[in-house]
Amino acid sequence: MTNFSRRKFLRDSTCAAMGSTAFLSSAINLGMFNTLAARPHILNNNNDYKAIVCVLLAGGCDTYNVLVPTDDDPYAEYESTRIGISLDRTDEEQLKILNRPAGLPEFGVHGALGDVKTMFDAGELSFLTNVGTLSEPIANYTEYNDALKKRPLGLYSHSDQQMQWQTSLPDTRTGLGFGGRMADILHDMNTIDKISMNISLDGKNRFQVGSSTAEFSIANNATPDNLGYSGYPSWYQESGFLNDNKNGTIKSLADQTYNNIFQQTLGALTSSTADSIEIYKTALGKLTPLSTTFSETRFSNDLKMVAELISVHQHLGLNRQVFFVKVNGFDNHSNLLDEQNNVLPEVNAGLLEFKNALQEIGKFNDVVTYTISDFARTLTSNGSGSDHAWGGNQMIMGGAINGGQIFGEFPSLALDGLLNVSHRGVLIPTTSIDEFYAEIALWFGVSPNDIDYVLPNLCRFYDSSNCTTSIPSDYMPIGMFQ
Amino acid sequence: MYSKIIAFSCFLFLALQSYGQVDTILLGFGESDISVTASDNEDQAQNTTSAAGYLPNSAASARFLTYSSLAYNFDDIYTVDTMGIEDWIDDQLATPRLFTLDEKIHEYALYAQDSTGEFGYSTRMWRYAWWNYFMKSEDILRQKVAYALSQIVVISSVSGFENRTLAFSSYYDMLLDNAFGNYRDLLGDVTFHSAMGAYLTYVNNSKAVPAENKFPDENYARELMQLFTIGLHELNLDGTPKLDSLGELIPTYGNYEIAEFAKVFTGLTWGDREYFNKSARHDTSYRIPMIMFNEYHEPAEKNLLNGYVIEERTTVDGIADINDALDNVFNHPNTAPFICKLLIQRLVTSNPPPPYVERVSMVFENNGSGVRGDLAAVIKAILLDPYVNNCGVQEDPTFGMLSEPFLRYLQIHKAFNAYTDSGNYRNDMRDVYQRIDQRPLGAPSVFNFFQSTYQPLGPINDADLYAPEFQLADSKSLMGYFNGLDNWIRNNNYADELILFQDENSAGYLDEQTQLDFGAELLLTGDQNIVYLIDRLNLLLARGNLSDESFNKIVTAVKNYPLYNEDSHQDRLELAILLIMASPEYLINR
Repeated sequence: MTNFSRRKFLRDSTCAAMGSTAFLSSAINLGMFNTLAARPHILNNNNDYKAIVCVLLAGGCDTYNVLVPTDDDPYAEYESTRIGISLDRTDEEQLKILNRPAGLPEFGVHGALGDVKTMFDAGELSFLTNVGTLSEPIANYTEYNDALKKRPLGLYSHSDQQMQWQTSLPDTRTGLGFGGRMADILHDMNTIDKISMNISLDGKNRFQVGSSTAEFSIANNATPDNLGYSGYPSWYQESGFLNDNKNGTIKSLADQTYNNIFQQTLGALTSSTADSIEIYKTALGKLTPLSTTFSETRFSNDLKMVAELISVHQHLGLNRQVFFVKVNGFDNHSNLLDEQNNVLPEVNAGLLEFKNALQEIGKFNDVVTYTISDFARTLTSNGSGSDHAWGGNQMIMGGAINGGQIFGEFPSLALDGLLNVSHRGVLIPTTSIDEFYAEIALWFGVSPNDIDYVLPNLCRFYDSSNCTTSIPSDYMPIGMFQ
Repeated sequence: MYSKIIAFSCFLFLALQSYGQVDTILLGFGESDISVTASDNEDQAQNTTSAAGYLPNSAASARFLTYSSLAYNFDDIYTVDTMGIEDWIDDQLATPRLFTLDEKIHEYALYAQDSTGEFGYSTRMWRYAWWNYFMKSEDILRQKVAYALSQIVVISSVSGFENRTLAFSSYYDMLLDNAFGNYRDLLGDVTFHSAMGAYLTYVNNSKAVPAENKFPDENYARELMQLFTIGLHELNLDGTPKLDSLGELIPTYGNYEIAEFAKVFTGLTWGDREYFNKSARHDTSYRIPMIMFNEYHEPAEKNLLNGYVIEERTTVDGIADINDALDNVFNHPNTAPFICKLLIQRLVTSNPPPPYVERVSMVFENNGSGVRGDLAAVIKAILLDPYVNNCGVQEDPTFGMLSEPFLRYLQIHKAFNAYTDSGNYRNDMRDVYQRIDQRPLGAPSVFNFFQSTYQPLGPINDADLYAPEFQLADSKSLMGYFNGLDNWIRNNNYADELILFQDENSAGYLDEQTQLDFGAELLLTGDQNIVYLIDRLNLLLARGNLSDESFNKIVTAVKNYPLYNEDSHQDRLELAILLIMASPEYLINR
């Protein structure tokens, strides 16, 4: 089945695809039965809980200073290409050497990532190297310049590349998000229909938008007391009545029928927000406070909230949760070395604290955390910083992954390397986002039969015959999971 | 007995009106094919067309002011009613600036010096200056345009120079000065402004040193094209994309052109430095335009857009290069539709029909006197366009936009004539920023608070339309706004009046505490008058857009609030304001 007909099937299902996770979702979307009636058919039992945490390093993290080859020859390439912005492998403040994975070269991580190194060495975290947006495989510089090869739209543009990391759809400026499409497929594994399984700590994003799913956005300091409407204090006469009168009228205004599409959209958002928040208030009221301590940074506080929402997932009726978290400060066109020294410690501390919290609540094996970023940055300097580039390195953390590994093919950092397409040092990715996400989706419970709904372009990376064959059995192009 | 504002509001009929009286009657009449809300008073109204041409009714004036100002009050509605929109625009174009933000900050610094003995700047000064300008200056159209420009040529206090108050005041002054000027001049002022140089990191950007693998910074080159002038792909004059023979978008530039433009923006440094590659000397460094050090400027030829080449000059001249490059992007065929569509989206509607964009773009290309980029003419074309002023447009379900949360906050202050005892204002806009993520020059990145192509899930996305402001509307910020209304209106925390410098005595600025004038409204809180109250607020806040259903719900809810004591009258009024400002009919400008 081609992509199009497959997607069309999902929307307009008339044939049964029993055993496919899609069947139930499409049935629900079509209103073939009401959602409660559909639930008993859910494939997984309630004990099966999983979550995904997507961490956007916003602005385009210079990840060739996050993961650095430290064997003599590749380090020499690194050092001579990155004059003025390289890290010194002999200075532990600048580079911390990782335990060498069996059969692989040696690498170091940025000196601010000491806890990342510890987690890597302990088998709790791995790197995926030179991963990025690809419309189709591009093997080298010559193919890049071949007009027949399709490049991602708006390569090197923040807005396009940040969006494509969220949609995995590099041919279009519209489209749903990877997390949203997974929710379209998996939403019916959850037990409260009106609660979104996609939860954002950074407001609106494309990643979490599906055809029937939008994100639920929450503040990182949410508690049962500060969630929802403020109002007349309890010492007011009849404060309960007054608050019902106010909030009920807001809801009633939102629930009216509107012709104007902006009014419709806003009314629906207001109404669903009010509904969801009531459930969140109740669920967070049942929270057992975490004993893990978190730093006072935005990132740590975000991840603390995520850990809390994971620990109350049953009260939210959620067996699957997809979280979105963002860290700013990576668009380092100037003062790269100083700026990374400022922001990477936050990432380092946040990831460690989050791991500790997940272990405290016994969920580390059920949660996969991974980083994304707009793009990596030019290997060469612009004076004190680096500019927009393409393929780069990302982290993946969790008890379910093969830890202590460098997945993918670490590229040559020499400017005459075959993957370099610019005098600035811009590398063609050797692993596509589609392949990266496919493994996450399959682990998360998306059926192989539904993978082309979740990742419509994936077949371009396993099937050179124009997407005529279906996904290979036991498809694991990277091998990130145990 | 009362008569509601007629819900449609096109500029056709003169309405009978008087202001601020309990027995206010606000009427308009529709054409025969438009159903008019039933009224007991139709016979009292004057179905009059002014001898001078069409004059607006009050709801139409309020709607027009939503497009043409940051916020407005009854006096503004009356002025537009009286003058008509074209004369009003001309009057606004001729209204001078009241003061500069830099002047105001100079006053603050002197005031601080009186107490501390030191002449110095603080972060808050520029926001207080902005707020004073907003509250006091009558050039309300200029302020709206400058605010729109601040969301196109974006710099932000979310940056490394957050505490450099003069960076923001001088940049905003520059936007106010250019709001009715020429877009090419604006581009020049933006490009040489030190705050932009710092924000997009091309201050101290040096020519290439190939032996050291060191090349010019590409940051400004990219965003200048992507965001400030031409956009990512080729456009028709009406703003629709041009397509190639395969039906694909045609990119306006590639990484090669980025690197070529990057060469142009080399050699600039702080205007108060004698050497290249020094850091900012002081706050004041940010208000002096950057200067060129030709020895750090890339001398080689630069291949720009549409075949334009800056040849290698016999004597390096970086300023000339920059001006040539700005001419190149300014004269690009994309710039008119790209910028005009953004301005229409900021002022009027999220999805302007292509013919509307084309009419405005043509004015951008030629103001009638052969001048390209005349912003005053462009703004006039946007506001006077027949599409916007046509009765039917409000019936179009795709017309309109979500109002920006920050502008709703401003409206509270203008609509209820905020005042202070001294006539000076303070507002750090901190509470509003924390709740709804917006205040002037506070965007998270150069991509603004929201992107022009944002599509929320639901009917807007299904129709492949855009709703940029919805990028700020999620469950957190929406609740933040509702609870903000609670805090601002019901708890009377109208503004954030905070110290200007360390150890300032708060008693010294008690006379700068904002109060609102609810005099007229408080006469209308008795049970029998609540319909008049909601009628008045419907015009003042919601431009007459409340449907019968919403109107009646709000009347009922306000009546439900018991009159426990004298304070209950204000409680009722506050509830009425809050409910209107929480209604979709208020929140969507249309």
